Amino acid sequence: MEFFLEQILNGLVYGVLLFLTAAGLSLIFGLMNVVSLAHGSFFMMGGYVAYSLYRLTGSFWAALLLAPVPIVAAGVAMEVIFLRPLYRRGHLDQVLLTFGFTFIFLDAVQTIWGRDVLALPPPAVFDGVVALGTGVFSSYRLFLIGFGLAIALLLWLFLDRSQLGARVRAGVDDAAMAGGLGCNISALFTAIFGAGVALAALGGVAAGPIFGIYPGEDAEILIPAFIVIVVGGMGSLRGAFVGSLLIGEADTFGNAYMPQLALFLIYLVMAIVLLVRPQGLFGIKHGLAASPSGSTPAAPLPSRRALAIGLIGVAALVIYPLLVADYQRSLVTELLIFAIVAMSLDLLLGFTGLMSLGHAAFFGLGAYVVIVLGTFFDFNAWFGVALGIGAAALAALVIGYFCVRASGIPFLMLTLAFSQLVYSVALKWRDVTGGSDGIGLAVKPSLFGFTLSNSLTMYFVALFFFVLCFLGLRRLVSSPLGRVFIGIRENEARMLAIGYATRRYKLASFTIGGAVAGLAGGLYAVFNGFISPDAVYWSASGDILIMVMLGGAGTLLGPVFGAAAFLLMKNLVSTYSEHWLAIIGVVFVACVLFFPGGFWGTLRQVRIMTREKVPA
Amino acid sequence: MAGARAGPKLPGRLRMLELDGIHTYYGDSHVLRGVSLSVGAGEVVCLLGRNGAGKTTTILTAMGYVKPRTGRIAYRARNITALRPFEIARLGVGYVPQERGIFPSLTVVENLTVFARGTRRGRWTLPRIFALFPVLEARVGHLGFQLSGGEQQMLSIARALMLNPTLLLLDEPSEGLAPMILQQIVTAIKSLRNEGLAILLVEQNLRTALALGDRHHVLNKGEICYTGSSAELGGNDTVLRDYLSV
Repeated sequence: MEFFLEQILNGLVYGVLLFLTAAGLSLIFGLMNVVSLAHGSFFMMGGYVAYSLYRLTGSFWAALLLAPVPIVAAGVAMEVIFLRPLYRRGHLDQVLLTFGFTFIFLDAVQTIWGRDVLALPPPAVFDGVVALGTGVFSSYRLFLIGFGLAIALLLWLFLDRSQLGARVRAGVDDAAMAGGLGCNISALFTAIFGAGVALAALGGVAAGPIFGIYPGEDAEILIPAFIVIVVGGMGSLRGAFVGSLLIGEADTFGNAYMPQLALFLIYLVMAIVLLVRPQGLFGIKHGLAASPSGSTPAAPLPSRRALAIGLIGVAALVIYPLLVADYQRSLVTELLIFAIVAMSLDLLLGFTGLMSLGHAAFFGLGAYVVIVLGTFFDFNAWFGVALGIGAAALAALVIGYFCVRASGIPFLMLTLAFSQLVYSVALKWRDVTGGSDGIGLAVKPSLFGFTLSNSLTMYFVALFFFVLCFLGLRRLVSSPLGRVFIGIRENEARMLAIGYATRRYKLASFTIGGAVAGLAGGLYAVFNGFISPDAVYWSASGDILIMVMLGGAGTLLGPVFGAAAFLLMKNLVSTYSEHWLAIIGVVFVACVLFFPGGFWGTLRQVRIMTREKVPA
Repeated sequence: MAGARAGPKLPGRLRMLELDGIHTYYGDSHVLRGVSLSVGAGEVVCLLGRNGAGKTTTILTAMGYVKPRTGRIAYRARNITALRPFEIARLGVGYVPQERGIFPSLTVVENLTVFARGTRRGRWTLPRIFALFPVLEARVGHLGFQLSGGEQQMLSIARALMLNPTLLLLDEPSEGLAPMILQQIVTAIKSLRNEGLAILLVEQNLRTALALGDRHHVLNKGEICYTGSSAELGGNDTVLRDYLSV
C-alpha cells in the first residue's frame, strides 16, 4: 500500500513538472497558433542558470526566484526579434526557427556548463523525508507537488477571474476580433510567451534537485509535454493540467509495475485518446482550416529540356566517381542516400502538406533491420534491405494511422512523439540494438560477387536507387494519386467535400514516404555498416526537414540539392568547429528568415522577376 | 471630384471617417477600385450592393484589417491608413463584424467588459446597455456560444458600444435574423443615430437601409456606382434594378 501511495506521489511530481512546461506551450499555441520547440530548452536552461545562481548565492530560493529572469529575457527576445516576423507565414517556418534555437541553446549550455550532469541540492528546509505509513517520502518532492499545484491554482485564478485573464481567453477564442476591439494582440502574446517561458524555467529549476541538470533534458521534457497537449487538447489550461497528471501517473506506474512496457504506456494513453477524442480531452473541435502551404510545385520544364538536363546530370554522376578518391566518392554516396530520404519526406511535406517531424524513425528502422538481422542471423544485406523497407512501411502505417487523425501542428507533435518512441526503443533495447553504443556489421555485404566495401560499387548502388526513387516519386506525384495528395495539401476540407476519404490518402502518402525512407536507411546501413540511436533522434528528423526546406518543399529536385548543401556544410563545419551545433542552428534560423521557399523557391522567384522585366 | 461626390464638405473635426481613392487587393485580385466616401458626425451612411461587390472589404479596410495598396483613410481628419486594428479601435471606432465575433468561452458580461474603454466618463455602462437590449440582461451569465443569432448580434453591437466609440462600423447586422429580432435591432440603431453616433452600415436589406441611412452608396465590382439620399435611392428604379435586385 505504501508503495502504491508512493507511486501516486511520484506520478504527481512528474505531472506538475509536465504541467509547468505544457501550460505555457498550450497557451502560446492557443493564442497565436505558434508552436515553440525551444520550450524544452527554456526548461533546461532554467536548471542551469539556477545551478550557477545557487553557486553564487548559496540559496536555493534565490536560484528559484531569479533563474527565470534571464531565461524570460532570452525567450522574449527570441519571440519579438525572430518569431514575430514569421506569423504571417506557415507553421513550418516557426517550427524550423525554434528548432534552430534549440541547437543554439544546447550548444550555449554545453559550452558554459559542460556536458556532465550537475546536481542542484534541495533547500535545507526540505532536505529530508516525511513519514508515509510505514515508509518515508522525500519532503522536497512533497514541496514540489504543492508548488506545482499552487501555480496551477494561481494560473487558473488569473485566467478565470482577472480582466487580463479574460483578455487572454478572448484572444485564444478569436485574436483578430480582440484586435478590432482595441487589444494589442502582439503585446499580449509577448506577455503570454514570456509567462510561458517563466513557467518552463521554474519547472527546470524545480526539477533540478530530483533529476539533476543535463544536456538533453530539453527534448526529454518537450516530447512528453507535447503528448500532454495532444491528450489534454490544444489551448486549454484545464486540458494541460489533466493531461499532465494523467501522463505523469501513467509513466510512473508503468515504470513501477511493468518496466519493460513503461515506454509504451504513455503512447498507449495518447493513442486511446486520439481514437476516442481526436481533439483531446478538453480541446475544442476545430474545422479543417486551409493551411497556407505557400509552396506550389514548379511548372514542369519542357520535357525534352528536362530529359536533356536529367541525362547530363546522371552522366556527370556516373563519371564523377571515376575521377575522384575514395573519400569524395563516399561523401557523394552519402549525399545520394540522404537525397532519397529528403525526397521521401518531401512527398509528405511538400506534396501532401503533412508536417512530419519524425521521419528519421523510418530511416533508422530500415537501417536497424539490416544491421540487426545481419549481425544476429547472418542475413544477406539485400534481403535485409527489403525487410527494412517492409518494417518501415509497416511502422509508418501504424504510426500514421494515429497521426492522420490530426493535422497541422498536432500532426507534427504526434510524429515527433512517435519517433521519440522509436528512439527510446533503440536506446533501451540494448541486447538487440547495442543501446547508445550503436551496433555495427562485422562483415561488409556483397552484391553479385562485388564486395560493397569497394566504394565504387557502393556508389553505383546508391546512384541506382537514387535515380529509381527520383523517377518513381516523380511518376507518383504526377499520377492521379499524386494529384489527390496535392489536393489535400492545397485544401483538405475541399477534397473531403468532393468525396475523397482524405485520411486514407494521407495514410497512403505517409506509408509510401516511410517505405522510401526505410530503403534509404537500409542503403545507409550497407554503406556505413553501423547505426546508433543518434540516427533516429529528433534532431535527425530536423536535419531531414531542413534539407527539404533548404532546397524547397514541393519540388523533387529541391530537396536533393538541399540534402547536398546541408550535408556538405555539416561536414565542413564539424571539421573546423566544435560549435557545429550552434552553427547548424544559425543556419536553420537564417534559412527560415532569408530563404523562404528554399533555394528552388528563390531561384523561381528570380526567374519570374527576370521574366517580368522582359517587355511582352 | 471625389470629395464632392462623397458627401457634403464638413469641417475636419466633424468628418468622422474619410476614405479617399482606396484600392484594395487580395493577392492579385483587385477588390476595391478607387472607393471614396465619407461619414460625417451623427450621420448614418449605408453601403449597398450585391454579394462580392466589396462592401465587407470596405469595412475591413477602414478598420485596418486589410491594407489598401493606394489611397488614404482618415478618422477625424487624422490619417489612420497605416494603423493596426487595435490602434484604430482605441481612437474610438467600434467594429461589429458580419460574423459577429462573439468570444464563445466568455460570458455575456465578460464579452461586454473585457475590452471596454472609458466607461467611467463614457456614456455607455452596463445598465444603459441592458436598457438598450433588455434580452442581454437575462443572459448575463451565459457563455457566448450559448446565445441565439439575434442575441449574438445584439451582444456584438453592445460590446462595440462599451468602447464608447464615436463611429460605429456595422457589417450587415440584419443578416439571417427573424423579423421581430430585426425590428429590435433597427430600433436600437435608430436610437444610436438619434444620440449622434456616426455609423457606416453595410446592408443587404434595402428596406432596413432606407429606414436607417441618411446617405447611400451602391457598390458594384469594387466601385461606387451610385450615391444618393434615401428618397433619391428609393425612387431610382434603374439603380435598384441594375445593382441591387437579385
